[in-house]
Amino acid sequence: MPAILPIGLLLVAGALVAVHGFASTRNVANLGLQASILLMLAMPMTLIIMSEGLDLSAGAVLSLCSVVMAEALAGGHGLASALAASVAVGLGFGLANGAMVSLLALPPFVVTLGTLGIAEGAALVVTEGNAVSGLGSGIASLYALDVFGLPFPVLVALATWLLTYVLLHYTRFGTYVFAIGGNRDALVLAGAPAWAYHIAIYAFGGLVSGVAALLLTGRMNAAHPTVAIGMEFDAIAAVVLGGTSFERGDGRLLGTVLGVATITVLRNALDLLGIESSLQVVSIGGLILLVIVIDRLRRSRREQVA
Amino acid sequence: MNRDDTDGSGQPASAVPLLALRNVSKTFPGVRALDDVSLDLHAGEVHMLLGENGAGKSSLIKVLYGAYRADAGTILCDGRLVEITRPADARRLGIAVIFQEFSLVPFLDLAQNIFLGREPRRPLTRLIDHGRMHREARAVLDSLGLDYDTRALAVDLGVAQQQMVEIAKALSQRARILVMDEPTAALSERESKTLFTLIRQLRASGVAIACISHRMQEVFELGDRVTVLRDGRRVATLPAREATPDQLIGMMVGRAVGAVYKRRQYGKAGEIVLEVRGLTTATGVRDVDLNVREGEIVGLSGLVGAGRTEVARAVFGADAIVAGEVRIFGAIAKGGPERIAARGVALIPENRKLEGLALKRSVQDNLLVASLWKLFPRGWYRAGVARACARALIDRLRVTPPAPRRMVRVLSGGNQQKIVVGKWLAAGCKLFLFDEPTRGIDVGAKSEIFALIEDLVERGAAVLLISAELAEIVHVCDRAYVMRAGRIGGELARTELSEENILRLAMHGA
Repeated sequence: MPAILPIGLLLVAGALVAVHGFASTRNVANLGLQASILLMLAMPMTLIIMSEGLDLSAGAVLSLCSVVMAEALAGGHGLASALAASVAVGLGFGLANGAMVSLLALPPFVVTLGTLGIAEGAALVVTEGNAVSGLGSGIASLYALDVFGLPFPVLVALATWLLTYVLLHYTRFGTYVFAIGGNRDALVLAGAPAWAYHIAIYAFGGLVSGVAALLLTGRMNAAHPTVAIGMEFDAIAAVVLGGTSFERGDGRLLGTVLGVATITVLRNALDLLGIESSLQVVSIGGLILLVIVIDRLRRSRREQVA
Repeated sequence: MNRDDTDGSGQPASAVPLLALRNVSKTFPGVRALDDVSLDLHAGEVHMLLGENGAGKSSLIKVLYGAYRADAGTILCDGRLVEITRPADARRLGIAVIFQEFSLVPFLDLAQNIFLGREPRRPLTRLIDHGRMHREARAVLDSLGLDYDTRALAVDLGVAQQQMVEIAKALSQRARILVMDEPTAALSERESKTLFTLIRQLRASGVAIACISHRMQEVFELGDRVTVLRDGRRVATLPAREATPDQLIGMMVGRAVGAVYKRRQYGKAGEIVLEVRGLTTATGVRDVDLNVREGEIVGLSGLVGAGRTEVARAVFGADAIVAGEVRIFGAIAKGGPERIAARGVALIPENRKLEGLALKRSVQDNLLVASLWKLFPRGWYRAGVARACARALIDRLRVTPPAPRRMVRVLSGGNQQKIVVGKWLAAGCKLFLFDEPTRGIDVGAKSEIFALIEDLVERGAAVLLISAELAEIVHVCDRAYVMRAGRIGGELARTELSEENILRLAMHGA
């Protein structure tokens, strides 16, 4: 069991006791909304990291997708075609990331740093640096929809979790995510087109970003070119907190979900306490190091026993 | 067992071979890995492949499996011309290979590993049918007499268990042609017996089996025919029952060493410089005793994986010592590589590009990197002193071109090796541990490296020379130790040094 579970529980207990208004109905609903976008980024990020990769462009691509969607809506297009445009942009970036990592064997860090810059810049160019509004009421009312008592964003996020779970454990794609991270040669020798699956991992990330733009845009009924910049930090943090390994093709989605919950609770509690965003980043950084140090200490003790 | 279907030529009577290689060649820069090799595999035979390290056995397997593409030659399957350019092609033809380096995925379970690339899927949803996969994996493991849990992760298995899963993986493909690269290397006696029984069953059911082995006993216990390779060429194919161990060993040896290097003189051994007693490490070295004297070149031979490199690493402090002791100039050596190096020991590692050189720095920088504090005790770099020192070393080592500022990456392999030696020479080392110093360098450069090594011992250094090339050990060393499975299999004095004697000690049951 990763160290994140007791630490997360401790954090929740602390927030319940010390933070006024944390347990209010409104805040709990708020937690769900805040967690949903992060969960959507963190699910594919788990697969990417399991494959010994990284996607630094996730936040910037999400921002760009949101801007594209908003521009389409503001231009009078329907919700379906706006979503299609957003998904196409996300998928395009994912395929580009994957192709460079898989076919050209470039380091994922550098590749996605480059596409981060392109996506961020493109979003600024399209909007000339301004927020895009006047989207009509369609997307906002979709966002506010309740389905079987669950808010629409939470439902979409849970569906993403379920989809990723099925992909990871019940399809060849998922099996090969483990193989690409753990022993890529084995997959090649097994006669499977490892290169194509490697691209697909990143493409999946882009595709989910395109859908997540729906939540991001609906939440404010507007889009801003830099709104999700830096969100990849929280997503990667959630994956790491969840115990996914960077180098051995080992990972678990439930751990990432716990990581997402922990980060959301931490940020929310600090918000309620009136602590500014930059200090929140400091605390997340500290939390990552704490969990990693604990895991390492526990592992070295176990290795001594063995 | 009916084995009367072989005639005197070693060719089974059954007409068309299941798989035939015709005149296959494969060249890498500087190395002729396979040279005009032909090989037949017949249904229902076990064909043993024998050869020294680097004789071309592994390359042959890789060509069969589409991991390498042959430069020349053809492959026939059932008498028909086939192209094997990818592993998928080999699979389609019914060829399964058990490689020596494991091809398991650590965090997948055994069933997933066995069916990697061939996962059974439900017809409608295309989702993986875990139930069927585990049932079939169970059946394959049962047929091997293994009670492993199909849900266990590969990462939790021991080496022998992993090897058995590799075998299960190949079997589950219902291959018609099964190729094994030293399948028993990691197995216990009992596991080997299980495997042999299974191989015989497969043979009886008409599978063609090719098997690389370094254990003479296995060759005669399992093999119907034997093919001996040397320097990428096929020496002979003959029925196993007509061969003798000595005959096979005779066929395996005979590699040329740098136009046969001639020692100028054999050493007058002085005091003991290195003494190892009862050395045991976690990396597989077991109870090793050896010593090296001043003015001596002592060989450390053995087959790949026998533990030669591991001995050198333990002496150098790079791997932890579990039991035993290492004495250098009579004093017990403790601590990591820096402390050992400070006592005048140099390790020239097998992979000089990774471990021995800064490839993008100049010849001069590389030569002086280990002796900067000795040259400049106050910590101030003086360009004139550095240049003079580098020039002197370049002359002594005969580095070509004699250009101290040239980037090391662009030098030939032989010159790079000289730079590594020079680095330790500058640091004033007295004991040199050479790990495969001539790997990947051409014949002329080999002679130069040996001249350099002899030059070292003539000036009073002591040298431990690790080499898988038997001819090198025979021609260059004053005496040699031969390792087998982590232990010293025996010591050979100057007069006993021959390739046959080394192989006899290195191979099991020879």
